[in-house]
Amino acid sequence: MNTLTESTTLPRESESLWGKALYKFRRDRTGMISLGVVLFFFVIALGVWMGLWGQHWSAIEGPMWAKPGAEHWLGTNIIGQDIFQRAIYSTKTAFEVGMVVAILSTILGGILGALSGYFANSWVDELILWLMGVLDSIPFYLFVAAIAFALQGYPYSMHIAMIATFWTTTSRLVRGEVIKLKNFEFVEAARAIGLPRNKIIFRHIMPNTYHILLVQATIVFVSAIKSEVILSFLGLGVVDGVSWGLMIAESTQEVQAGHYSNFLTASTFLFVLVMAFNMFSDSLQDALDPKKVSA
Amino acid sequence: MEMLQYALRKFITGIPLIVGVTLISFLLMVYFGPDKTYELLGKNATEEQIQEIRHQLGYDKPFVSRYLEYMKELVTFDFGYSDSTGERVSSILKRTVPISLALITPGFVLGNLLGIALALVAAYHRGRWLDKFIMGGSVVGMSVSFLIVIIAFQILLSSNDGLGWFPVRGWNVYNFWDYLHYVTVPTLATVFVSLGYNTRFYRAVIVEEMGRDHVRTAKAFGTPPGELLFKHILKNAMIPIITRIMFSIPLVVISGSLLLESYFGIPGVGLVTYDAITSGDQPILKAVVGITAVLFVVVLILNDIFYKLVDPRVSLK
Repeated sequence: MNTLTESTTLPRESESLWGKALYKFRRDRTGMISLGVVLFFFVIALGVWMGLWGQHWSAIEGPMWAKPGAEHWLGTNIIGQDIFQRAIYSTKTAFEVGMVVAILSTILGGILGALSGYFANSWVDELILWLMGVLDSIPFYLFVAAIAFALQGYPYSMHIAMIATFWTTTSRLVRGEVIKLKNFEFVEAARAIGLPRNKIIFRHIMPNTYHILLVQATIVFVSAIKSEVILSFLGLGVVDGVSWGLMIAESTQEVQAGHYSNFLTASTFLFVLVMAFNMFSDSLQDALDPKKVSA
Repeated sequence: MEMLQYALRKFITGIPLIVGVTLISFLLMVYFGPDKTYELLGKNATEEQIQEIRHQLGYDKPFVSRYLEYMKELVTFDFGYSDSTGERVSSILKRTVPISLALITPGFVLGNLLGIALALVAAYHRGRWLDKFIMGGSVVGMSVSFLIVIIAFQILLSSNDGLGWFPVRGWNVYNFWDYLHYVTVPTLATVFVSLGYNTRFYRAVIVEEMGRDHVRTAKAFGTPPGELLFKHILKNAMIPIITRIMFSIPLVVISGSLLLESYFGIPGVGLVTYDAITSGDQPILKAVVGITAVLFVVVLILNDIFYKLVDPRVSLK
């Protein structure tokens, strides 16, 4: 037996799903590059959060529409604020929105999906399915508007609306996986030795869905950032601080006057981050897909 | 007969969904929505005047009767009058919905057709450079925000700095030529944004269908490629394709046009909704939210019935 395993070309690190995925991901050049870009943006956001840079985003420091130069790297906007500083600070806003929404909606989707999968065809399942159907039926922008309408003046209505709508996809995927998993021998064994139900669901079944949760979280992160931009543009999103969406919103007047710096800066930051995250998400999905055999 | 029974059963299962959807929109828009009492009152109102207005607005009635009233408004299509213009909500909708449909339909149809076509090309050349090129392009397309696409297309095609071929804003449509003139830039933007997502989705569906045993067998029997494609692959891939198209209809009509219409100043449902959001025009908002949500549930049910028509293997039980 020993000689057999040693002679094969399988990854040596670990035989688990995660070990194999790590091995596969490390050899995926696109994945590694995109991860690098995402981490670079994350460092920018972290620096803003710790107060290292990007703190002068609201100060009016120059003349209106200054040309890019040593003083203002990317020029200034319509009221003389430094565009580079604002774009850097917006990176933090984007990560904040993306992470809050991705983490909370993944937790919610994971737990409710596991419950509805484990208790499939019971009233718990029916109730959760009904809730998902209802939330999916309300158009996203209107739902955000409705929540903003109901919670007037509350700065987190956008986050709440996104979490409330984005968990349903995660939950459906987890539900399907749990329905498959709950008939496996290890669950039967756990039940046979008399483990309590919540332990079976959350300690034995749910860890087997973590790869779905991770991929879903990256997808939700991207959707959250993209939605934030559109919602902020429409005046339903970020209320205090600055975001790429707000920058694009203020740039529409400047564009008509022929000043493109603000628009191009915000669009480029947004595009590069979303693109890198999309590619990272794809590579992650490939690496974690147990059906793909190629190492 | 069996079909009719099936349809009826489906409609009955849709009832809890409709109740839920209307309940949530009622809770958000009406019950927890903004209190209009003090907007209608003058300064220094007495306690009686406050009670009087609250009674007129129906705030003192119990929850269930207010919810039923909202349901009645939805069923009779009578939502009262807009707060900001005083026009009947139903007549506003009657005027604006056709504009939105005219605006969004070409982009929606083209986006899906081109998506399927590109997906077929990519799937046919699977793993080769053409496939990689198309799929790489669709990741790029998916990563550009709709907002950026709209602004960029407007700068490039409509503004004086760009080509200046099309009108920058507005909707003065009296004949077909005008229509083409105004609809082109929004259509291009819609197609550009939806193409990435559509191509990726359809390619995945088609690739899965191509790997089936019956396709290989048909190929081995020497079926010509055209017949193979339409009869053996596309026909079987129809269910996910139809589902995707049907489900995007209610969302496309409102959400898609919200951004387009508010940016291009086109007087459709999207712009009306956007104005209602910014000015807090409750009658319009509850009409739009309620109707779209109900429309979505109806599509959901129609979709199940459609499955049956397309695929005889779907059980009627």
